Amino acid sequence: MSDSLLLQGQDLRKTYVLGKTTVPVLHGASIDVAEGAWVSILGSSGSGKSTLLHLLGGLDRPDENSGQVLYRGQSVWEQSQRAINDYRNNDIGFVFQFYHLLPELTVLENACLPAMIGQVNEDGLERAEVLLKEFGLGHRLHHKPRELSGGERQRTAIARALVNEPSVLLADEPTGNLDEETGSEILGVLKELHQDGLAIVMVTHDPSIASQGTETVHLRRGVIE
Amino acid sequence: MYQSRLTIRYLTSRFIPTIAVAAVALCVALVIVVVSVMTGFLNMVQSSGRTLMGDVVVTYGLSGIPHYDRLMDTIEQHESVEAVTPIVDGWGLLRMPYPDRDAKQSETVQVWGIEPHSFAEVTKFADSLQWKSVSENQRDWLLIDAIQKHEEAVLSRLDDDTKAFVIEHVNAAARSMNFESVGLAQTLEDTLQTEDWEYILSLDPRLTNEGEVHAQGLSLERDGKPAIVSGLHVSEGNERQDDGSYQVIRNDYWWLPRYTGTLTMLPIDAQGGIIEPESIVMPFANEFMSGVYIIDDTRIFVPLHVAQQLLHLDEAEIVDEDDPTETVGVDPAKVTSVLVRGVEGVNADDLRAIVQSSYLKFYDEMPIGTFVMPPPLGDPGLVIQTWEDQQRSFTGPVEKERELMRTLFSIIYLVVAALILSIFWSIVFEKTKDIGILRSIGASRLSVVWVFLQFALVIGVTGALLGSLLGWLITTNINAIHEALGNPPIAIAIGAIILGCLTIAWMFKRSRNGDFLPIVLGSLGAILFASIAFVVFNIRAMGGLVIWDASVYYFSHIPNDVDWNAAIITSIGAVVFCLIGAAIPSAKAADIDPVKALRHE
Repeated sequence: MSDSLLLQGQDLRKTYVLGKTTVPVLHGASIDVAEGAWVSILGSSGSGKSTLLHLLGGLDRPDENSGQVLYRGQSVWEQSQRAINDYRNNDIGFVFQFYHLLPELTVLENACLPAMIGQVNEDGLERAEVLLKEFGLGHRLHHKPRELSGGERQRTAIARALVNEPSVLLADEPTGNLDEETGSEILGVLKELHQDGLAIVMVTHDPSIASQGTETVHLRRGVIE
Repeated sequence: MYQSRLTIRYLTSRFIPTIAVAAVALCVALVIVVVSVMTGFLNMVQSSGRTLMGDVVVTYGLSGIPHYDRLMDTIEQHESVEAVTPIVDGWGLLRMPYPDRDAKQSETVQVWGIEPHSFAEVTKFADSLQWKSVSENQRDWLLIDAIQKHEEAVLSRLDDDTKAFVIEHVNAAARSMNFESVGLAQTLEDTLQTEDWEYILSLDPRLTNEGEVHAQGLSLERDGKPAIVSGLHVSEGNERQDDGSYQVIRNDYWWLPRYTGTLTMLPIDAQGGIIEPESIVMPFANEFMSGVYIIDDTRIFVPLHVAQQLLHLDEAEIVDEDDPTETVGVDPAKVTSVLVRGVEGVNADDLRAIVQSSYLKFYDEMPIGTFVMPPPLGDPGLVIQTWEDQQRSFTGPVEKERELMRTLFSIIYLVVAALILSIFWSIVFEKTKDIGILRSIGASRLSVVWVFLQFALVIGVTGALLGSLLGWLITTNINAIHEALGNPPIAIAIGAIILGCLTIAWMFKRSRNGDFLPIVLGSLGAILFASIAFVVFNIRAMGGLVIWDASVYYFSHIPNDVDWNAAIITSIGAVVFCLIGAAIPSAKAADIDPVKALRHE
């Protein structure tokens, strides 16, 4: 195993059970993400790319007979619940297509939430503020998410993902819900982060967006090709 | 901690926590008010029994307990006994002295012959006397009575002018005082010579000594004669006022201590047959109010020896059946009951055991050859019981009622619990997605559940405190509220009509653009205000509404002490149900994988 490998998915399988029918989504997908890489996972809708990302991010559990997710060589799902929580909180940052911000909290509170949960970064509030200002949201710090545009919401979500200084950013169609101009703004942000050394795994169905990354893999019928 | 911040945001940025607090508060207040009134009612029934009859009662039906002095001495020797008093209990007919013809002339009364001094030690007799002093009107009436009664003696002291003045003023006062005060005492005092005025005052000690009427009640004696103290509701002349006090009708014209009454009782011989009825004319000394309606409505107190004479329970000679001139012994005076009060802190049941053993000692120590023996302890007619047992026939139905209420309340509690559970369930269920977000950024299950427990705790505690406050306000003011319900101010109806009109105006204004919600809210508001106005008018048309009828519920006022035990239990229960209602759905949501929770819409 190479030392520079940050995140690995090995032979990942996932089947959803919907009532009486079972829907197999991943049939043994494997993926390696090196430190500082930007891997784009390209696939059509329903190909299982979001599911793969969820498994990598520790948000969903692979099947029993499946392979495993390794973070710095350690199997994520074989650890204690506490360690899994720490992994979600510290090691990865997750950006969703639909932002998933808490509507009752302000932009600033949303962005520093992981820092408050983890209690590792005492300067979480400060860092969240710096990030938000960096992303051009300095005038929106005390607004509620419903008062923001789609692009602003996604930038808030990215700030939240980054507040605990993770090693890898997992982005699930980060521009999927945005118009082209705003989408490219977001991609610009990601590009800058990558240039600063952050590893990124991004899921998309758009080859032109996928091409922004340093590496593109295709997910077809539940397998990486 | 992020939990506190999130809890505060959840509490402040939405309307639903306010509704939840209001629901919890109303539920808690409802339970506190009803349980307090029911418990207070039962406590009043029981404690009034104790204040009226002491802790333990020894009773031997109609034939009475002989040698009761010895029995009382024996009982009183015990250190746990505070005081003992004998009672003769019987029924009689009291001819009332009502000054107006159309009133009921006779009342059936329960006569208690008492020794006033020891009776006051066992019960709260002194406190229960209604007339502690004489009012101005009552004093004027006594003055008229005294002058008319001693007319010759009074007039003979005066010169002609003064005589005419006194006759005119006393007669005028006697005619008009039952509808207006005339200040007769002042007029006479100003006009008469000091010695004449003092002579008139000396005719009735109640004219000079303020506390005399109370002292006469306490000693059951007026003008050196044995006198009656009757329950406040025995006389039809006493009327309850809105504030709960009593006034004598027609400006104290019917004030009972002015008059005398005739008491008739039926003595019974040893075989239970009726002997000739006995009557006695006695003045009224005072009236008493125990607060228990049926007692105040029927009971009168007379001196013990009077009751003994009327019922032939006094000392008598026993003659030979074959030769009535031959005396064979003495039948000692008897009483039907002996009331015992224990020293503070002695339990009534323990005291009963003490009284039982004292009775046994009394029976064993009767001199050999005593002609009339007291009944032995095993005699079925001899009853030694606590005031609770004695009052059982009275408290039994109330206790049953309380059990029924408890059952009903268990159901209400369940409904309240289900309501609180469902409110929290829906609040937390709606937040499943938030839980998914928190879990996806690394929040532990426990910390997520803790957010909602804090949320529920704040709502539960706030609701319980507000509910307790509301419950306390309603309970302590329940008599005033009852009065207001009985005669609701017309202002409420007018206010409701104005608010109803404003609501309709608001509805038309807001629904002009086709919105339907203002129509629904406006119609509901208009119906609500119209109903309030309708109810107020209806009650007023009926001449007031009496929910708490003293003749049904025994007491002249509604119990208004908060049952704090029930309040605390209810409040804790409400908080616990809030916590359960929040814990189950939040734990459920925290248990599923974050991705599934995130998909929740």
